[in-house]
Amino acid sequence: MGNTGLYLALGVATVLFLVPFYLIVRNALSTDADITGESWRFFPTDLQWGNVKELFDDPSVPFAKALWNSTVVAVLHTLGTLLVCSLAGYGLARIPYAHANKVLYAVLFTLMVPAAVTFVPSYVLVSSLGWVSSLRGLIIPGLFSGFTAFLFRQYFLGFPKELEEAARVDGLGYWGAYWRIVVPNSLNFFAAISVITFISGWNAFLWPLVIGQDQSSWTVQVALSSYMTAQTINIHLIFMATAVSILPLVLVFVFLQRWLVQGVAQTGIKG
Amino acid sequence: MATTTPTPSAAKGPAPRGAAPVRRRPRGLGGSRGRALNFWLFTGPFLIGLIVFVYVPIGWSLWLSLHNAQGTVTPTEFVGLGNYADMLGDGDFVDSLVNFTIFAAIIVPITYALSLTLALLVHRIRFMKAFFRSVFFLPTACSFVVASLVWKMSLFNGLRYGMMNTVLGWFGIDSIAWLASPHPPWYWLVICSARLWLQCGFYMILFLAALQNIPRELYEAAAVDGAKPGWQTFRHITLPQLRATSVAVVLLLLIAAYQAFDEFYNILDEGRATWGRPPLVDLYLQALGANQDYGHASAGALILALLIALVTLVQGRFLGFGRGDEK
Amino acid sequence: MSNISRGRDWDRRGVLRAMGGVAALGGLAACGSNTGRSGGGGGSIKQMYHAYGEQGTQQAAKKFADAYGKAKVTIEWVPGEYESKLATTLLGSGAPDVFEYHPDLQLVRSRQIVPLDDIIADVKDDFLPEDITANSVDGKIYGIRMIDDPQFFFYRKSLFEKAGVKPPATFDELIDAAHKLTSGKVKGLYIGQNLKTISKPLVWSTGPHYLDADHRIAYHTDNLVETLTKARELYKSKSLLLGAPTEVWDPASFLQGLCAIQWCGIWAIPAIQKAFGDDFGIFPFPKSGAKGRQVVYNGGWSTYVSAKAKDVDAAKEFVKWLWIDQKKYQQEWALDYGFHIPARKSIAAGADKLKSGVAAEAVELFNTHGVFDDPYWTEGMFNILLDAVVNSVRDNKSPEAELDSADKKIERALKKLG
Repeated sequence: MGNTGLYLALGVATVLFLVPFYLIVRNALSTDADITGESWRFFPTDLQWGNVKELFDDPSVPFAKALWNSTVVAVLHTLGTLLVCSLAGYGLARIPYAHANKVLYAVLFTLMVPAAVTFVPSYVLVSSLGWVSSLRGLIIPGLFSGFTAFLFRQYFLGFPKELEEAARVDGLGYWGAYWRIVVPNSLNFFAAISVITFISGWNAFLWPLVIGQDQSSWTVQVALSSYMTAQTINIHLIFMATAVSILPLVLVFVFLQRWLVQGVAQTGIKG
Repeated sequence: MATTTPTPSAAKGPAPRGAAPVRRRPRGLGGSRGRALNFWLFTGPFLIGLIVFVYVPIGWSLWLSLHNAQGTVTPTEFVGLGNYADMLGDGDFVDSLVNFTIFAAIIVPITYALSLTLALLVHRIRFMKAFFRSVFFLPTACSFVVASLVWKMSLFNGLRYGMMNTVLGWFGIDSIAWLASPHPPWYWLVICSARLWLQCGFYMILFLAALQNIPRELYEAAAVDGAKPGWQTFRHITLPQLRATSVAVVLLLLIAAYQAFDEFYNILDEGRATWGRPPLVDLYLQALGANQDYGHASAGALILALLIALVTLVQGRFLGFGRGDEK
Repeated sequence: MSNISRGRDWDRRGVLRAMGGVAALGGLAACGSNTGRSGGGGGSIKQMYHAYGEQGTQQAAKKFADAYGKAKVTIEWVPGEYESKLATTLLGSGAPDVFEYHPDLQLVRSRQIVPLDDIIADVKDDFLPEDITANSVDGKIYGIRMIDDPQFFFYRKSLFEKAGVKPPATFDELIDAAHKLTSGKVKGLYIGQNLKTISKPLVWSTGPHYLDADHRIAYHTDNLVETLTKARELYKSKSLLLGAPTEVWDPASFLQGLCAIQWCGIWAIPAIQKAFGDDFGIFPFPKSGAKGRQVVYNGGWSTYVSAKAKDVDAAKEFVKWLWIDQKKYQQEWALDYGFHIPARKSIAAGADKLKSGVAAEAVELFNTHGVFDDPYWTEGMFNILLDAVVNSVRDNKSPEAELDSADKKIERALKKLG
């Protein structure tokens, strides 16, 4: 395929991939009448920037607060997951222990089990710990991702052994080698996993819905759902809420995606 | 899951250079006891969490599945394998398992092919690489809820102001109510396009990373041997080099296909369409929701988990999952 | 307060929503945010509502709670997914003490709610007997009705005149009207996309309720088979609005002029009045076959006390205070934010808002054709029968065979609940 062909194919794919984003923005800045009108409008006749104000001024849904809550939770969720899962991944990958493989299979098994299996017991468990309506109830149960630990293991398998061994010989031990040598040399990969983890924290819905109690603790996804179930659906508000809810992630992506590719390139998921 | 070919240093045992020749034992971690201690030190916090927040609930579910547990999670009436028998004797649930095996067999190869194609295209170009990468990866930022919303309310809206219907209108074709009925099965188009849009970017990134790791020398050597660039090199060099990634991607896609819930639930009328109902939606309607039949729900969910494990295992044998690990 | 039956009937969208997406990323477990207080200690009561749509309702609920002197009452306001959240929270230790819901035998059988006979005894006669029956299991009253929300068809008078159509009294006339009113961009009829809502009046319009007085299957008649066959024809014709993005609890399709007739409820009256002035009317679901009857579905919400409440008696006392004693608040709740019929006869009698125009007609329909929920008919049974209806109407399957297979499953469920 010639270069022109390549770019042409990519161009077509780009248009297709961007159509849903275009629809979100177009609907977010239109009036309902524009959206449901008889003839299709590519762009709203008047950009309804007032919709932004309407979203944030709505007294029945504290959208700004929800954005803040989501930010706090997604950040803490990300940091916690990185810490716990990277340590586990390193242990599984690097410390020669007789039963390490059994532990690995126990971790992998959890990936096969649909979340539906564990949801109700998890809730009862967490509520009996008294963690309902608390940050720890929202964050801690989500930190133990078998998938993330597994990704870390694959990555650490490929980490140059020489570096660590030199460090250990210098008397650092596994622990010291991990913090002084392995982590500082793996920032790309940590960044990649952060992005993926942040998304999952941001987009989580059911757990925050059940654990969160009063409105001041709603996350963006919960707030979004309240627009969809309002008495009469305001199409423009739903799409404005959607646009605002994905904006932070889009920004994170655009700025961090370089690290993402580099980071993923270093996992075990590779050729 | 995923994986495999450990990197040279892992596969070949002690690295030949650097620290290896030094026979002096690193301080403080001598002996298998020290290693065991360190192993638990690193994995301990994670494993404790995994046991408390994943294994205990799984065990609890297993226990529930053996009881009559309607409206309670501390049941007393033991029914043995009765719930399992009920679920396997229930035509709808079994149908949904069969349907989703078919669904997986269709959506997995398509997603695989599309992600790989995108990756190959992006990998080949020199300019605007980052731009295209971003564009294809961007949908990953959206939740299934967001995608369902856009698809149902705007893109495949069954009315005249739906975008697809507007486009059809330009060609003089009547509006189609995409989701009204399974004849013809337009709903597959709606569901599959949403899933492809959401998923392809992520897998493209995996492939892209793998492509970057293929040593250039392989291609140079092939060129010297007279292989033509294009299909031949792709078939004999690129594809084999991507084997490990392919295994991982197929595995992730399979698991995701069987665990499908959101877009089916949201796009297909809150799960009320009786066709194209995934196992989890069926379980939700029958048991997990307001019906509160946790015994049957757990039994069904565990049957599904077993099926996923089985398919994963078969796929692994077939494509060679874990071969690298076993060394 | 929006659509009444939202919790039970129409709105479960997105449940377990996070799961698919999260699973796609390989099981990164769900996690989210909260900065809220921790559950109340002694002397506090947690009350749970689904998120009503009308402006001001949430503030009103809070106001009522704050006005209660004997305990600190906190409000939990649940958007979307009310039903599944309630089901889940009732199992754990963060469970609400007092909550609103619909009559359901399941809650009684699994001992999740307590009888309220003692607090309602004195004013029992001030409620409609049907509202009492709908909340009674084995002779005990488990719930106190808060509001009644009748559902019926809305139609555009001007379009009817133009097409020379009268409000239909039989199902055949309804189908006929749908055909006649369909023109170009306007479809004759909108009964919803998922049939969840319309399946109730559709079944009842053939004569029987779901179950008879002895809690045995009553819905399965030749008349229902025939009605489902006709409904399938209607569905295949071009006269039905299909593919609308919102279900029938939202009057949007009617308001946008996409259809001449739409099923909806009393809560939609203000919005429709605003859009069309006097150019609309209402009529009940027409009767089907010789043994049929006209039907208005009386939805609504009732309040219950959890058996797991920290202090059951304190919770009951609060319920008595708010939903029995405070008639002013009950009136405010039903009438000040939207359109609902107050459950108390004495309050409804004084409601000027409901005395004129279409609202008065709605009350009249409610009184003459209203059909109430049966507490012995559980969510599980409803789902089974709905599948049979959907298969017959939307998917071309044989109604007789579908109903036969539904019978078997429902028999099993009935046996299990005893």
